[in-house]
Amino acid sequence: MKRVLIANRGEIALRIIRALRELDIESVVVYSEADSNSLPVQLADRAICVGPSDPTRSYLNLKSIITAALITDCDAIHPGYGFLAENAIFAEMCQDVGLTFIGPEPEHIRIMGNKIEAVKFAKKAGVSVVPGSGEEIRSLDDAVDLARDVGYPVMIKAAAGGGGRGMRLVRSEEELLRTFDSAAREAEIAFGDSTLYIEKCIINARHIEVQVFGDKSGKVLHFGERECSLQRRHQKVLEEAPAVIDEKVRRALWRDAVLLAESMGYVNAGTVEFLVDENGNHYFIEMNTRIQVEHPVTEMVTGYDLVKLQIEVARGKPFKFSQEDVKIRGWSIEMRVNAEDPVKFAPSPGKIVRLIFPGGPNVRVDSAVYQGYEIPPFYDSMIAKIIVYGKNRLEAIKTARRVVRETVIEGVKTNLPLFEVILNHPDFVEGSVHVRWLEENLT
Amino acid sequence: MDYELIEKIVELFSRSGLTDFEYEENGVRIILRRQIVYATPQIQVVPIGEPQRETIQTKVSEEKSDYVDTKEGVHLEAESSNLVAIRAPLVGTFYRAPAPDAPPYVKEGDVIEKGQVVCIIEAMKIMNEIESDIRGRVVKVLAENGKPVEYGQPLFLVEPL
Repeated sequence: MKRVLIANRGEIALRIIRALRELDIESVVVYSEADSNSLPVQLADRAICVGPSDPTRSYLNLKSIITAALITDCDAIHPGYGFLAENAIFAEMCQDVGLTFIGPEPEHIRIMGNKIEAVKFAKKAGVSVVPGSGEEIRSLDDAVDLARDVGYPVMIKAAAGGGGRGMRLVRSEEELLRTFDSAAREAEIAFGDSTLYIEKCIINARHIEVQVFGDKSGKVLHFGERECSLQRRHQKVLEEAPAVIDEKVRRALWRDAVLLAESMGYVNAGTVEFLVDENGNHYFIEMNTRIQVEHPVTEMVTGYDLVKLQIEVARGKPFKFSQEDVKIRGWSIEMRVNAEDPVKFAPSPGKIVRLIFPGGPNVRVDSAVYQGYEIPPFYDSMIAKIIVYGKNRLEAIKTARRVVRETVIEGVKTNLPLFEVILNHPDFVEGSVHVRWLEENLT
Repeated sequence: MDYELIEKIVELFSRSGLTDFEYEENGVRIILRRQIVYATPQIQVVPIGEPQRETIQTKVSEEKSDYVDTKEGVHLEAESSNLVAIRAPLVGTFYRAPAPDAPPYVKEGDVIEKGQVVCIIEAMKIMNEIESDIRGRVVKVLAENGKPVEYGQPLFLVEPL
């Protein structure tokens, strides 16, 4: 592997450039017209414009991106997260033209990309799933029956949805009768597929996910878990590794995550997401077949560079270490800094006129913004990931509080004040938050 | 066949983009051929030690009066204040002619019509014919035959007519 095309933008494009550079591999980054002044474009060995600001015509334009890789003589494509990262057709196209897709097999992307198929697969592999999930709902009658079986409240989900889109909470049969048709219609409009499923809503559940990794020899390892319960509209806000959980629950999560990945011969980085209820029961919800936004917290506590590992695995190199070598040490917290109104949460694009990122011991900032940078309004609002490390959770929290105060971002509104509140809240400090906590308490 | 007609044909031929022309009437045949001289590609010498950072990002200033092609170092301004660029509508490989041995679609000095094919951009083995969106005279061909072009890269400079 001599040259890799990065089919992404922002901080993850920069993260990949950094990994490639340390591996002595050249980087070619694609960009849209809105990103011509971006940091990845400035720092990559080469940059190639693939389309206008509209992402459907640039970062999501399969043909243009593959063409860009071919005309620049790349031998592989790293898709990052979002955009084409979980597009099985794209992964397949790469293979067809002789480009290495730095990620899993297209077939695995396809299976895990369909929530119903994913849950069916997990069930078959012997992994615990949420009651009701994995059963397609064909009619309103089906829905009513199943909801009575598993008990209210239930979640209606679009089979083709993801990232929290196409989900709604239904508290009673009366509500189900009222909303079922519109949920199907919404799914059809948003995802081109009206298939729904219904599952038991796990009360006060926590979102805990396990980082798995497979090499091409069939070996699957895990890199511990991440606690991602602090979410707003199903978008993660703050993540940590490890999670505050019982040791027995932790081991059960690891075991099921590895079991699932092993059963399909999964290759490269993946994340198996679970809900964990108040009694420590865990339920598989989905698997993300890519590198995650929050991967740095795992890197901080394990010492492994997951992006470099992705590239090494794609090159065909088997793991030179075993599960016992992957040790979780200390605690890490990541805060996703978004350019958004901290009260109304509306995106706040614009020019960053003053910028001071935090520093000092145990601090890492993954960001592609700089002073004078104009945040384009066409893409997501995340402008930085501030990651801290501590010998234990309390030390990490204290460092997190310090860095929030150190950070200065002027010109756009950011959600920094929200972290100030979270980090000082007794519920968070105790480690007793759940997936609805943020919305119920702070918004 | 009268001399004036022949003169007219020759004149029309030389103004056209044709390379071959054959005309026959009452046993008289006229064959006209033109030798195409392709521009020699410029070889850029990169001094040793200088980073080999080959950015195809072509910086084009917003004002039409100031076109800068960083790759060739061509700087056209003032006199070409009203020039308009035809830009690549997609990323791919730029070809000036429909086939390797065929004459280019357009060359400097040609008058092109709106909708006229000016080049080909190959993307994923598909030859996309690129049409001009303006009528005008080609002042400069900026992109190099057989080389990659990125989205939005200026390909031709045209003086609108």
